[in-house]
Amino acid sequence: MVLYIAGMQILVHAGNELPIYRQIMGQITEALAVGRLHPGEKLPSHRELAEELVIAPLTVKKAYDELESLGFLETQRGRGTFVCSRLPKLKMADQREQIDAAARKLLSLAYMVGLDLDDVIGILRNAEDELFQGAHTAAGRAATKEGA
Amino acid sequence: MNSVLEFLNVVRAYVRGVPILDGVTFSVAEGEVVGLLGRNGSGKTTLIHIAMGMLFPQAGSVRVFGSSPNERAVEVKKRIGYVAEEQVLPRTSSIAELIAFHRYLFRRWDDTLEREILDRFGLHTNSKILGLSKGQARAVALLCAVCHRPELLVLDEPAAGLDPAARREFLEVAIQFLNCAGATILYSSHYMNDIERLGSRAVMLDGGKVRLDSTVDRLREEYCLAVVPVHSLPDPDLLKKEPGCLGTRMYYANWHVVFQGSPEQVKARLEQSLGSDGVRCERMNLEDFFVELLGGKQSDDLS
Repeated sequence: MVLYIAGMQILVHAGNELPIYRQIMGQITEALAVGRLHPGEKLPSHRELAEELVIAPLTVKKAYDELESLGFLETQRGRGTFVCSRLPKLKMADQREQIDAAARKLLSLAYMVGLDLDDVIGILRNAEDELFQGAHTAAGRAATKEGA
Repeated sequence: MNSVLEFLNVVRAYVRGVPILDGVTFSVAEGEVVGLLGRNGSGKTTLIHIAMGMLFPQAGSVRVFGSSPNERAVEVKKRIGYVAEEQVLPRTSSIAELIAFHRYLFRRWDDTLEREILDRFGLHTNSKILGLSKGQARAVALLCAVCHRPELLVLDEPAAGLDPAARREFLEVAIQFLNCAGATILYSSHYMNDIERLGSRAVMLDGGKVRLDSTVDRLREEYCLAVVPVHSLPDPDLLKKEPGCLGTRMYYANWHVVFQGSPEQVKARLEQSLGSDGVRCERMNLEDFFVELLGGKQSDDLS
């Protein structure tokens, strides 16, 4: 059985920089951030996702549990795991450092090949369009922006 | 939680005075998936043979479902599925005959699982074992080990010598089995990526003992590798005395040291306590972890 929840195609790689459960967490939160996954949507059970990804069911469960404790997912007894109807806002202070670091890295890469700041801004615009291509509704996108 | 498998100070030598297992202690709880890691000759297969009642421990004890696998051999074996490292299947039998034989031995048999495994590996029941590829033969061995829905599945390097696609298919069956039966699994493997996919816990054998016993996620997140130039710190004992040091080896002009702690913490601590410049700290995946901890030129071996 192959399961796709509204465009959330998860891929994991063993031996990657991050443990597998972190890779799953990252991809689910990313799908939420760009509106490919919506509040109230049902996720596959941890056993189904485990079979699809060929990883231990407990690993998926760990990812779901962590996301639940962060307030992104909720488990309804006997019904399954869902995206919370009200998503938590990530704290700016927690994320700011990583955003700044990513910005410095992006700029240094771009300058090395002779791009200037305007080019980089254009690249960011393109990336934004790509990210939101999978977003289903404008409302979802607006809600995400508000949360950012 | 109930422990399905218990090793207590297990000792076993093939040559007198040279124990291959020298006091191995750990237990596997119901529902756990434990990967047994270690270099060739570290005693993984010996330990598995002891669990299966195929070898006696010379000291210490082993309990499977709370019983000795030697004293209550049949009773215990009925609840176990086992794929040996070099599984020998009767060459002139057909797959159908082999399945019939196992059905006869085990009262409970899952026809659906049997069908699924046959389909997944493209096996025809009228094929003879001698005509099967290595991967297909391993699949048949796996089929015979899981279709009676054992409570404990023991796999000794189940995927050794298989191509990556066959290995993945093998894993798929194991995951499916885990899902439907909620069984306990002990398996040895040299494929670290497979361990990461299937395993929740890794037990590493080294020098006849359990060198490390931890969940795979903790290994990935709570340990790091520090690379320290030898010229800045000629004496590795100073590194070994640092808290959280698991092992040190020399690699070209650097010490490679496995530490418990995040890269940032360890780097700061080393710079402060040893005043050593040029320390680099990084996280490791399971394969790097294995190499750094068990690879050549460990400082204990240098003299």
